[in-house]
Amino acid sequence: MASFIQLLVSGLATGAIYALIAVGFTLLWQTSQTINFAQGEFVMLPAFFVLAAMNAGAPFWLAALIGIALSIVVLGILFKIIVVDPMLKYGVLPLVISTIALSLFLKESVKDFYSSQAQPFPTLVPAIDIRVFEAVISTQSLVVLAVAIATVVALNLLLNKTRLGRQMQATAQNATLARILGVPVRRMVLYTFLINAVLVAIASILVSPIYLAKFTNGETLGMAAFIAAIIGGFNQVRGAILGGVILGVLDNLSAAYISSQYRGAFPLIILIIVILLRPQGLLGRVEERSV
Amino acid sequence: MTRLNTMVLAVVAAAAVAAPFFLKPFGIFLISTWVVLTIAAIGLNLTLGYAGQISLAQGAFVGIGAYTVALLTPTGVPFFLAFIAAGLLCFAIGWLLGYPALRVQHHYLAFVTLAFGTLVFLVLRNEQWLTNGIYGITGTARPELFGWPMSGARNFYFLCLGVLVVLSFATWWMLRSPWGRAFVGLRENPVRALSVGVDTRRYTLMAFAIGSSLGGLSGALYAPLVQFIEPNSFTLGLSFNLLLMVIVGGSGYFFGPFVGALIAVLLPEWLRVTEGYYLIVYAAAVMVMMAFCPTGVLGLTERVVRLLSGRLKAPPKVPGTQTLTGDAGT
Amino acid sequence: MTAVLEVSNLRKTFGGIVAVDDVSFEVRAGEILGIIGPNGSGKSTLFNCVLGQLQPSAGEVRINDRLSTGMRPCDLNRLGVSRTFQLLQVFPQLSVHDNLVLAGQEHRGSMASRLFGRGDAGVGDAAQRMIEFFRLSHLTNEPAGALSYGQQKLLDAAMAFMAGPRLVLLDEPAGGVNLTMLGHLRERLHAYHTERGATFVVIEHQMEFVMALCTRVLVLAEGRLIAEGTPQDIRNNPIVIEAYLGR
Repeated sequence: MASFIQLLVSGLATGAIYALIAVGFTLLWQTSQTINFAQGEFVMLPAFFVLAAMNAGAPFWLAALIGIALSIVVLGILFKIIVVDPMLKYGVLPLVISTIALSLFLKESVKDFYSSQAQPFPTLVPAIDIRVFEAVISTQSLVVLAVAIATVVALNLLLNKTRLGRQMQATAQNATLARILGVPVRRMVLYTFLINAVLVAIASILVSPIYLAKFTNGETLGMAAFIAAIIGGFNQVRGAILGGVILGVLDNLSAAYISSQYRGAFPLIILIIVILLRPQGLLGRVEERSV
Repeated sequence: MTRLNTMVLAVVAAAAVAAPFFLKPFGIFLISTWVVLTIAAIGLNLTLGYAGQISLAQGAFVGIGAYTVALLTPTGVPFFLAFIAAGLLCFAIGWLLGYPALRVQHHYLAFVTLAFGTLVFLVLRNEQWLTNGIYGITGTARPELFGWPMSGARNFYFLCLGVLVVLSFATWWMLRSPWGRAFVGLRENPVRALSVGVDTRRYTLMAFAIGSSLGGLSGALYAPLVQFIEPNSFTLGLSFNLLLMVIVGGSGYFFGPFVGALIAVLLPEWLRVTEGYYLIVYAAAVMVMMAFCPTGVLGLTERVVRLLSGRLKAPPKVPGTQTLTGDAGT
Repeated sequence: MTAVLEVSNLRKTFGGIVAVDDVSFEVRAGEILGIIGPNGSGKSTLFNCVLGQLQPSAGEVRINDRLSTGMRPCDLNRLGVSRTFQLLQVFPQLSVHDNLVLAGQEHRGSMASRLFGRGDAGVGDAAQRMIEFFRLSHLTNEPAGALSYGQQKLLDAAMAFMAGPRLVLLDEPAGGVNLTMLGHLRERLHAYHTERGATFVVIEHQMEFVMALCTRVLVLAEGRLIAEGTPQDIRNNPIVIEAYLGR
């Protein structure tokens, strides 16, 4: 029982990170039809910004802020202007292919220009274990959960309680209508990219102490984001959160009870099952058939 | 076909037949690799260029085909039976994968094939009792053709070339038939195609299944070509590579895969100057190309030819570019 | 007289917006029914629900007494239902001839016969006859994208007729077409109707087109059916006049 609770808690922590990544992915899709295949690499990269800043002498807290700022610029603004905007007029397919190429580009760039070795990454709090009813829980997991929950709550407040947030939601639901109603659609789309950049940066800082910063991190994290988004329902932010959490918990539980060789297979099988049985995901609506 | 096209084709065909007599063994190996990968690229071109679906599992299908042959032929199964088995197996798997994934929008097939590719790699690596795991399988025999041994580099190249010609012809036949017209329809205007009775879902599924089986057939030739296969040969990297071959060559053009595969096989040689940064250069080049010329080399050539001959026609087609909503959130 | 098309209590909502509100009507064999109404009255949404492009939120659609709500457009097409589009929908890279062959090929034989049989699936002659019927012979081998707007409208109609449908739904066939071409289009539609005895349902804005072509007219406003009758009745109906001019 104790180990189950431990697994549950660490699963929730992992799931919270997956949720952040999946939410950003879903937001990009909703507002600008961008299927970002490089989302995993987007989570891998900010950790290296932070490490580079620390190598230049900055203390961790400052390096983290620099990392987030650089993410906003590179993964938000530059990504939109250089990769997405020129491609939109050609439709979804060339854009997807571009993001596939981008994921390769980012991965190889980190490998060649920083290091191919896994780099240790500082934790947010010193790793102490707390005993709760005989279960050993690391402060790390609790902090990750706390930060992730705080981020999600903040995002929720932004989207639902502010005028800006409601404008963004309107853009996501029906850009043409939003434009007619006076919403500055281009700017809303830009904000979505910026929000995604912040989300992946936070996820990066949370996950890198656990996985170590490695150029290959993008593969598993990206896959987790896609699966979480699909499980939850591709077009729903709440679905992405739910999908992420479920995936994190199941993933951790399976690691304990399934052979490690096939550890990575479990989320993939979940994906195939979901697509077979309920392709619209847990919270998604059955889409209008346009084709 | 225009006179220019026929001439170019004749020259290339002559070069393909003459080449092995002027090349050293490594050169013959390179062009054999080109021929074998072109087959896989032709399959992916069907899926992507004609049916507009992204498959990230073509490399996995090549792997399935390769292992099928590598495992069957030592037990006495004749090569050509194993070859056909590889194709049929991949067709069936493609159908099973595609059927649920294509019921939905949102390019779900891309994610399903991404997951499937990873799963295949895991199985190949872990099931050592079957696949010999990370140690791989060596020495897959090259077949005899009516008593003629094909094990020499040159002879095997001609065997592969022969298979490529046959498969190309079969693909050409399919694309000239009403199926081909349906593919063009579903690519150009899926809404209209549906309304005139084209079952877009079934045609897309067929394209994906046939494309996957071509991947399997390519793998069936790959095993005896390289004579050592292991799980790492068939990771996502190969699927990416094949995808890029189709794109760079020109997605949706019949000869696109030929051009794309040639570039991909020769590129590591050309980019030797970049000394190991070649993947970065390659990826960057693809992004640039997508921004300025998503129709690939053949699309670019078509535009240039049109410009030179002074004809002003409808703008060049961009494959699979129906935006999912009318407004892409600009 | 049998009802070729029967719509019962059809309702379609998008979030909070009710686009089609409890609409019921019948279309009898051989008639040409017009559906008119001011912008935003739900005409196109209604069409899309009947034709399988959209899932209705409630209600039923029956074609030849067979439940067809939510069937895919390609299956409906094989049941004998065709449509034309408000916004041009042809296959621009294919020739006019190939556009028509594509529109007819899925109605003959099977997937296998289409792979191994004749290149034109046996409908080449029918396509040629259709081209002549619409007087587009001089354009047979031109890519459809190169045709003028009016010519593409004719092609659109020709494609809808290729499979010999019993029920044709025309979505604003006259929109944007110049007067000469309009007369030609209307005359060809009428000729087809007389020759084949098909049933038409036409959405239109242009009153003269509707009055000249249709035998019966329905009026939609704000998603609801507000009037029904002959073109003459409708023209003089005060409720209809108010819906168009009022507010």
